[in-house]
Amino acid sequence: MTSKIINMAERMKDEQDRLLESMFELAPIADDGFSEQIVRRVRRKLWVRRITLPVAVVLGLVVASRPMAALVSGVYELLLSMPGDLVPSLEGSLPSLQLIVTGALVLGVAMLSLSMLED
Amino acid sequence: MISGEDNELVARVVASQDTRAFGELIRRHQSHVRNFLRKLSGDMSAADDLAQDCFMRAWDKLHTYSGSGSFIGWLLKIAYTTFLQSKRKSRRYAEILEQVGHVSEAESRTHAAPVDEVTDLDKFLAVLSEEERAIMVMSYACGLSHREISQATAMPVGSVKSVIFRGKEKIRTSFDIKDHQHG
Repeated sequence: MTSKIINMAERMKDEQDRLLESMFELAPIADDGFSEQIVRRVRRKLWVRRITLPVAVVLGLVVASRPMAALVSGVYELLLSMPGDLVPSLEGSLPSLQLIVTGALVLGVAMLSLSMLED
Repeated sequence: MISGEDNELVARVVASQDTRAFGELIRRHQSHVRNFLRKLSGDMSAADDLAQDCFMRAWDKLHTYSGSGSFIGWLLKIAYTTFLQSKRKSRRYAEILEQVGHVSEAESRTHAAPVDEVTDLDKFLAVLSEEERAIMVMSYACGLSHREISQATAMPVGSVKSVIFRGKEKIRTSFDIKDHQHG
């Protein structure tokens, strides 16, 4: 008797659930370009992320180039003003300031290009 | 159209940021997510905006999907969080505007917006609290199990069951629903 009541209760519960499911049944929404719109946003986001770092580095290099050149020239002058016996062959072996700055810029641009190619 | 299970597509997205695979995931699940948010917010266009935000968040967090539950369950968790956060935000703005003596834009827009067609389901949902509405839609419209709902809402399974029971009772008493009739 008890098991019959339990079974009935279970069955009633199932019927109620089925009824609710039919009540809650929602018509599917057509995509209508919705997914494409999000994919476009995602691609734009990826592109922005990829471009942000290189642009920031280039801007940083541009902004820092003058103080960097001043720093390099300061160090260069300091080295030149050192007593001759401390750095006997310094004058001949040191590259020019322009060469150092150009080399640094070329290195920076090469590293940027490499990272962009990897992306 | 890309074939494969959801988990395979997720793996492709995570491994190589495959936007085509992600597009396929959206195509498969957008209807459930949008329907869920539409029923939760009661505003079709706002719900679609939220759905977009939800999928953008899903893109960012896809690497956290462990594959243990269903993907739609994981997505609905993000959708529910997105909905709650947007609601909190708009409530905060409304409070600020009230303080400075303005009617909030969202509020005025709600009053001005044409009312969408009210279905039987909308009437049923109207008697439920926000939490009950979310859980009932997840359960009966999206077919999530109690365990999946528990994960999506961060509630214990027992609480989910009692919310569903309460929601059913409310609908039944409000609309005098017997076993095989409604409306």
